[in-house]
Amino acid sequence: MLDYLQFVLTPQIVTGLALGVAVILVALGLTIIFGLLDVINMSHGEFYALGAFIALALGQVGLPFWALLFAVPILMLPIGYLVERGLIQRVFHSKDRHITTLLLTFGFALVLEDALRLVFGPNPYKPETPIRGAVEVLGTYLPLYRLFMVAIGGLVIVGTALIVYRTRLGAMVRAAAFDRNMAASLGVPVERVYAGAFAFGVALAGLAGVLLAPIYSVFPTMGRDFILLAFTVIIVGGMGSIGGAVIAGLFLTQVQAISSLYISPVWADPIVFGIMVIMLVVRPQGLRGGLGHA
Amino acid sequence: MLRLKSTLAALSVSAMLSGTAIAADPIKIGVVTPLSGTYAGIGQQVRWGLELATKELNATGGIMGRQIELIFEDEEANPSVAVQKAEKLFQVSKVDFLTGTVNSGSTLAVGQLAERSDKLIATTVSFADSITGDKCSPNVFRVNAKAGQQSAALAAWLVKAKPQAKVYYLGPDYEMGRSTVAAFKSNVDRVGGQSLGEVFAPLDSKDYTQYFGQLRAARPQVLYTSVAGNDTVRLLTQLQEFGLLEGLTILGASGTVTAQNIAAIGKAVEGFVTGVGYTAEIDTPENKKFVAAFQAANKADPDLYGADSYGLIYAYKAAVDKANSTETAKVRDALRGLAWDTPQGKKTIRAGDHQAEQIMYVVQVTGGKFKIVAQVAAADAIGPDVCTRF
Repeated sequence: MLDYLQFVLTPQIVTGLALGVAVILVALGLTIIFGLLDVINMSHGEFYALGAFIALALGQVGLPFWALLFAVPILMLPIGYLVERGLIQRVFHSKDRHITTLLLTFGFALVLEDALRLVFGPNPYKPETPIRGAVEVLGTYLPLYRLFMVAIGGLVIVGTALIVYRTRLGAMVRAAAFDRNMAASLGVPVERVYAGAFAFGVALAGLAGVLLAPIYSVFPTMGRDFILLAFTVIIVGGMGSIGGAVIAGLFLTQVQAISSLYISPVWADPIVFGIMVIMLVVRPQGLRGGLGHA
Repeated sequence: MLRLKSTLAALSVSAMLSGTAIAADPIKIGVVTPLSGTYAGIGQQVRWGLELATKELNATGGIMGRQIELIFEDEEANPSVAVQKAEKLFQVSKVDFLTGTVNSGSTLAVGQLAERSDKLIATTVSFADSITGDKCSPNVFRVNAKAGQQSAALAAWLVKAKPQAKVYYLGPDYEMGRSTVAAFKSNVDRVGGQSLGEVFAPLDSKDYTQYFGQLRAARPQVLYTSVAGNDTVRLLTQLQEFGLLEGLTILGASGTVTAQNIAAIGKAVEGFVTGVGYTAEIDTPENKKFVAAFQAANKADPDLYGADSYGLIYAYKAAVDKANSTETAKVRDALRGLAWDTPQGKKTIRAGDHQAEQIMYVVQVTGGKFKIVAQVAAADAIGPDVCTRF
């Protein structure tokens, strides 16, 4: 029994936790963009891939991993800003905003994925794991890099929540999400707040790319990996809710981790998506309210 | 005088034209292979292998004095696309023979079309045992080693290297994954190994750590896997990250670790063992000559797909020469039981199921490169003929 706890259950929960943090990192940008702009960003996964590839390229010219953690999100900011101002703003005010922005970002995702394939080729790359080794806690084997990722990911999530809920900038963002016209008439530069929030979401995706590249390897279609699970997380957590995304992300990945011990892991996905379907039927607004309402 | 000259000129031109027309009436070989998409890397090797052999034969007079012409179509590793492209090659381009299909589903589907069109096809890549097993076709040949030959070779090595090994299986959850695991498992049972359990992960799984719980609980000495491409990179590096590679020998299908992903896997690939029908390491003069020619032409090493495709053109030449015809029925008779020389040694096509018999090699990654650790005779790897249709 102790054996089972040590070698099977505990590591499974810890790996589930690491996966959960990874999914939340990807979902965080997605939920902010949805909560504020009311835009479903289908290209979010490809921004995650872009971040990983930028990290790969900069790593090859000799930039250390620690510098990448800052350099990549900073480089992603102007990219996100330009995409919002240059593409999304153009269709933002049309009547079917959901459809047009969804199609636009989906198309952009295809372009980005093929561009990555053209530049870097279809084969996978595996960046060196920056922190090697593992610790044994009470006989349970825990890789250091996964623990590091949980810690950094946790910091980023808490930091993001603090910015959104506890700063003046965050107040402007929430005001713009709550009532765009009222916020504008009170002097909030709504267009720039939108573009800035989009850029911030994209930068978070890029950061997730840097952090996850050593674990999941880097290749052009990697953007598809997390996107379904990330969408599930923000639907269950409540579109636009940071707290909801955290709860749902941790819950769903634990469901996956523990259920795959007892039943075929192939069933883990149907269970997770089943929870999403039940949620949509029973409580379509999700666990928590959106950005403008929290 | 002028008129005479121009008449003579016209005559000689027409003579030249008709002369070239006879010599240039080529034997057409259709190639339906993935030139784009996930399997583009495999299609590339197929193309390189076929083109090299064609160039060599054309330089020495082709087949029955006729040049060989290859006509390529992109199958996108999709059976329905492959059938459309094959139909086009049969009906419009009037090809004499067809090859190139990679996806086992494509090979089976194009095989049915070949039967209806009364043409012959050969695969140089597809692994699925059924192609020359329960779904065999009188119009389909396979010149590469099937999954069963690969796993028989691997099991023969396993019984010597690790007698009574405790084996765990992890495969991708689709036809190829399940059939490769089943094939290896029956071989392990046959040689007295112990099967502890199996798990099937969805294709393109990002995180294999969720399966490590079951793996750890079983405590195997050997892990057999048939994942491929990016999936292998993730599986092996994550196993390493979790310290699970200690004391664990990883065996795999021959598509698990290839030139496309070996660099990305890094140190985690050390010690990986697989059974293959070809490796560039084969130390014979014929293979060294082939590898040198292949490198000179393509600036890359041949892999099993390139070598088996190269060998196919020579098999077709041998069969057409023997039949003295390109007619389907005559070439089929000539191919049955045909023995011919390839870079990897002599191959023989078994008449009963159209499967090539060949020496199998067991290779292990040492210092980031595959090294041959054992050889298994063709007769020991081929397995029984289960084709009942002809």
